[in-house]
Amino acid sequence: MPPIINRKKCIACGYCAEICPVDCLKLDKKAKKLIVRYPDECWHCGACKTDCPQGAITMRYPLSHMMLAFPPDKEM
Amino acid sequence: MIKVKNEIVQCDFLVVGGGMGGLEAAIAAAGAGANVVIAEKHNTLRSGCGANGNDHFVCYIPERHGDDIELAVREVGNTLDGGPWVDVDMTRVLLRHTKEVVERWESYGINMRPTGKYVFEGHSLPGQQLYHLKFDGKKQKSCLTKAAKDAGAHIMNHLLINEILVKDGRVAGAIGVDVSEEEPEMVLFQCKAAILCAGLAMRLYPQQNPTYMFNIPGCPADVGSGHAMALRAGAKLVNIDIPNVHAGPKYFMRGGKGTWIGISSTIDGKPVTPYVVGKPSRATGDVTADVWPSVYFDKMMDGSGPVFMNCTDLDNEDVEYMRWAFESEGISSIFDYFDQRGIDIRKDMIEFGAYNSDLNNTGVEINERAESSLRGLYAAGNQVGNVRGNLAGAAVFGMIAGRSAAEYVKTVEHQEVSDLPVIAEKEKLFSAIWDREEGAHWKEPASTLQQIMNDYIPAMTPRTENLFRVGIKYLNDLKKLCHEEMVAENSHEFMRCLEVLDQIDIGEAVAVTGRHRKESRGRHQRLDYKFTDLTLNNKFMRVHKDADGTFHMEYRPRRMK
Ligand SMILES: Cc1cc2nc3c(=O)[nH]c(=O)nc-3n(C[C@H](O)[C@H](O)[C@H](O)COP(=O)(O)OP(=O)(O)OC[C@H]3O[C@@H](n4cnc5c(N)ncnc54)[C@H](O)[C@@H]3O)c2cc1C
Repeated sequence: MPPIINRKKCIACGYCAEICPVDCLKLDKKAKKLIVRYPDECWHCGACKTDCPQGAITMRYPLSHMMLAFPPDKEM
Repeated sequence: MIKVKNEIVQCDFLVVGGGMGGLEAAIAAAGAGANVVIAEKHNTLRSGCGANGNDHFVCYIPERHGDDIELAVREVGNTLDGGPWVDVDMTRVLLRHTKEVVERWESYGINMRPTGKYVFEGHSLPGQQLYHLKFDGKKQKSCLTKAAKDAGAHIMNHLLINEILVKDGRVAGAIGVDVSEEEPEMVLFQCKAAILCAGLAMRLYPQQNPTYMFNIPGCPADVGSGHAMALRAGAKLVNIDIPNVHAGPKYFMRGGKGTWIGISSTIDGKPVTPYVVGKPSRATGDVTADVWPSVYFDKMMDGSGPVFMNCTDLDNEDVEYMRWAFESEGISSIFDYFDQRGIDIRKDMIEFGAYNSDLNNTGVEINERAESSLRGLYAAGNQVGNVRGNLAGAAVFGMIAGRSAAEYVKTVEHQEVSDLPVIAEKEKLFSAIWDREEGAHWKEPASTLQQIMNDYIPAMTPRTENLFRVGIKYLNDLKKLCHEEMVAENSHEFMRCLEVLDQIDIGEAVAVTGRHRKESRGRHQRLDYKFTDLTLNNKFMRVHKDADGTFHMEYRPRRMK
């Protein structure tokens, strides 16, 4: 579930969790690990991705959020 | 037991919500010498509807629009920043102050002219002047946060406000909860004045995919807590019976229509309204989604839907422009999605949907000084009832509130708050939720609330007396059960529990006022009162709740001049 943390790049600084507008990310201070604790509360705003100093975050868009695409029917 | 912070936080002016309105209020009040605290549920750097950016700022710049402000007041009245539910004099106050905000924001480093000059685009009917300044708001929140700190405001992040304390008919303080650690902590505030800037009432109604409650256009942190606090404090709200409908991509509900440049089209790619003149362009676009957002629902109901956003006629340059505009608006995830899944909007149209009500600009009634009916209580932004203007409305009336409050706090003394009975009541409620071992997770009542709202106090389908009556009863039953059964494992869940309780209060007020309006008007459609009562034209319905919980409604004339 979104966002996706690249563990090789993440330094567990916790900045994304600090600024998330809906508090869906948490820094597990003991394990020094960033967790997507409430994935279904993600707003897909991308603040974490934009602000991550390591560029460690990408977004995955769940299928519950599918875009509905349809070509115009030129026959009609 | 809920942890309670030992010392009471004291300030002149408490800002509830560090979004666009709240930060502006703090900058103005602190700049005028008041001692200001901002309490923000998340972090002002990226919170609320402006978290990732906004891209248009409705404004009147005489050098560009001419000296006739009255023309601007009339024409802005025909855009999404006007409409029938605003007092016209408030639109004038708004437009009088927009230029100064634009210039000041520029001095903070917000990019108000990404192309080097002021550019106005979109959102207007054909033949009108353009008033929506195209800007790049990606950095707006960090710039305003810095400006608020520079002005001397103190920011408390991860601290939500849950109650405004009133003593002798005026604001005396507030009850907050610090949610920065795993365990929540109750915090008391003593202040002379406060402003409510907590934004929309999202999550009150189910949206397009109700299973995912956070798949919604506005910031899911804005749940109407400001409306609920105002109501409980005894302040007057207006027009909360009138549902607000909004539109945007159907199952991926990011932002709404915003800067989509395309034509609202039926399956054959043809426009659904006469608002499109020639090929849509970034300057004129198609305002259908702005001014008739329920078209996507209405056309489904009359059999001529679905309706799509049709960008297939755009040239590459305009498509790339949209990508850039979405980024400045804070909805870059839309193009990220297209890229990841290979969608080409020059080939495919994107189906739009009408979004269920979120109480946008129905709420606290303010005057030209941004004062509510309760002494010492101010409001600005999306939670205000008689003003629109979205971002600009939040900024201008936030600023005005900050200035008014800075004067007011010089004229009154602090009041002792610790003896107010509501504090003990809240402490008991908070402790019950926190101490309970087993019980209802917040999502249980949150989903039932949405269901009740949709079935009995609907925004998209017709209403009746019986629906309202049972809906009010069910909401009160739900509230009681929440008090008896809700549990929270940590401060995050605790915050969500308090949100549900606020939402139930607001839902009840929507129902009570909707029941009182015995006519059909706008999206308030009643099967038992199908006519539009002409004596209610240009009347606003006020509501307030007295200390024993009784609702009082009255109509007052809309200010037309
Ligand atoms: C993606 C998107 C794009 C938009 N683009 C535009 C645009 O281009 N132009 C335009 O005019 N408008 C736009 N809007 C609308 C605009 O963002 C809002 O009108 C504006 O942000 C309203 O300001 P506000 O202060 O009322 O609310 P917000 O900016 O949402 O701030 C509310 C704040 O209150 C906090 N809060 C909530 N409850 C509590 C509580 N109990 N205690 C403490 N804090 C609390 C929230 O965390 C939040 O920070 C857009 C909205 C979205 C979602």
